[in-house]
Amino acid sequence: MSTLVYMKLLEQTPAKYDRGMRVITLGRVDRIKREIAAGWVEPGHSVLELGCGTGSLARLMTERGADVTGIDISEPMLAVARDAAPAATVMHLTATEIERLGESCFDRIVATLSLSELSEDELDYVLHASARLLKPGGLLVVADEVVPIPLRQRMLFWLIRYPLAALTFLLTQNTTHALRGFERRLEDAGYRTVSTKPYLLGTLALIVSERA
Amino acid sequence: MWNVLKDIWFLFGRLFPYPTRPGLRRIGDPDRSSPVLVTGNFELTVRTVIETLERDGIDAWLLIAPSKGVNVWCAAGGGHFTTDSVVSIIKTTGVEKLVDHRRVILPQLSANGVNYWAVKERTGWKPRFGPAHIKDFAAYIRSGKQITEREHRHVSFDLPERLAMGTNLGFNVSLILALPLIIASFWVAGLWWKTIPILFMLSVLSTVLVFWLPGKIGVQKGLALGVLTAATYALVAQTALDVPPWSLVGWSAWILAVSAFVGYDMPSWSPLWRQDAKELILGVRTTHVAIIPERCINCHLCDIVCPVDVFAHNPETKKYEVANLDACEACGACIENCPTEAIVNNFREGVCACPTCLAIDGVSKLAGKSRKSRQPEPSSCTEGECGCD
Ligand code: SF4
Ligand code: SF4
Repeated sequence: MSTLVYMKLLEQTPAKYDRGMRVITLGRVDRIKREIAAGWVEPGHSVLELGCGTGSLARLMTERGADVTGIDISEPMLAVARDAAPAATVMHLTATEIERLGESCFDRIVATLSLSELSEDELDYVLHASARLLKPGGLLVVADEVVPIPLRQRMLFWLIRYPLAALTFLLTQNTTHALRGFERRLEDAGYRTVSTKPYLLGTLALIVSERA
Repeated sequence: MWNVLKDIWFLFGRLFPYPTRPGLRRIGDPDRSSPVLVTGNFELTVRTVIETLERDGIDAWLLIAPSKGVNVWCAAGGGHFTTDSVVSIIKTTGVEKLVDHRRVILPQLSANGVNYWAVKERTGWKPRFGPAHIKDFAAYIRSGKQITEREHRHVSFDLPERLAMGTNLGFNVSLILALPLIIASFWVAGLWWKTIPILFMLSVLSTVLVFWLPGKIGVQKGLALGVLTAATYALVAQTALDVPPWSLVGWSAWILAVSAFVGYDMPSWSPLWRQDAKELILGVRTTHVAIIPERCINCHLCDIVCPVDVFAHNPETKKYEVANLDACEACGACIENCPTEAIVNNFREGVCACPTCLAIDGVSKLAGKSRKSRQPEPSSCTEGECGCD
């Protein structure tokens, strides 16, 4: 029974996950999603969303007229996403299998708070694979927690992030990991950063990069 | 120093995730024909696997798959060590450039989350389920056989393991009961700090002595231990200490109650038993795996993945049958891996399946069990495909 109590406590449900992401970004996540859909996606675009979760961004993008494919590995999340974004194609696929989707076939690849769920090896693999998936001139749009490089900013980052992460865990038992050295990884995978927009004193960023 | 602290932590907090970096590790001096095996990224597991393989002189490639820092069996049951984890670690480590073969050995105890057929289809590698315990890996790999010996498929619960689980049980039950006990201490002075050591002692004793205590697993064994402990206490208290009679009776009853509770919780910390409150109270079976004979294609997989030897082959019908239902501890591995959905869990028959009742007997992990992995159409068994020799 005691094992069951902890299992239940740590169990991830779609609703809990959404709440967790709101807390850790102090509600910015919804605004960022709206910005991505309005600012970086055009009608008619073919878009791949890595880790579509409960489908809120997929919905916004289909409403904007894009042709959206969303992938995730959590069946409960996918079930919610299918209802939330009926116009999108939503499927169970790991990010490390995206080459199955074709080559040079997407205008945009977007990922919000999902790349940070990957291990470092997985992240590098996915960045390389996604570069091959984008059409020439296509954009990779990533919103995630990032660890800044300059020392003073980095200290500020941990100062803000630790309490937020603790609060998130207390309320929803969710944890996230911040991306480290993301810009360098992007470069290694053949991307050129087009724009970076910081949120929450630079602890969260919207990074748009182009397949070089 | 740090390692000693970690060891102390693992003595109590094994239930809590402790991740280590996923990726590829070389064990010994592996070459292009060395075996490739997979484990989860729980620090304690990874350390034990590496130490055991090095001690046994094995050269191998070890893939540490992301499992949210949880041990293989629990992670597989909880959806953190899945077919996706295996697919991902095979692809991202680039292990295919390091070996000439395409065989990957999965932990047998991951079978409740990892689907053999889906791994095969999605990676092009031939999976095998290895032994249940890493200590048997050397014997398995040196035998040259593709499937594990029957005795290597059984989970065991030997003394060191029981000791460790006893301390963990004590720690976690104490955590859960801490608040109620502290509140109750306002009425019964010192209740909480006297109860916690009793809890710990009974937890360790009940797991260590589990095979020798009378009664069926769970509450009955807990009660037996409680009677023993309370009697010892009463004897000592009466002869050596000056305890008033009402206090003596009260504490003896309390020891009995605590022991029954610990005994009830103990099975969930063992690899051998499931929790049995409802079976105990209502006298009904709550787990009931069954094979639909028409669907069985004799692929052997249920027999290979079952850690407690529930299935047996019927040479006449050339199909598998449930032979030892009492042993089933509801892990779900057979259901996950049967390629034709021939295995069902029809425990609902005649038994209340409301969430409360399911939570009481702890079988809810199997209740909603349906295949988590995407599964390809099974081919009927061709030689060597399924893992049989
Ligand atoms: S796993 Fe299914 S098909 Fe294979 S032997 Fe067992 S019951 Fe038959
Ligand atoms: S028969 Fe029971 S113990 Fe054996 S694999 Fe199936 S669910 Fe697990």
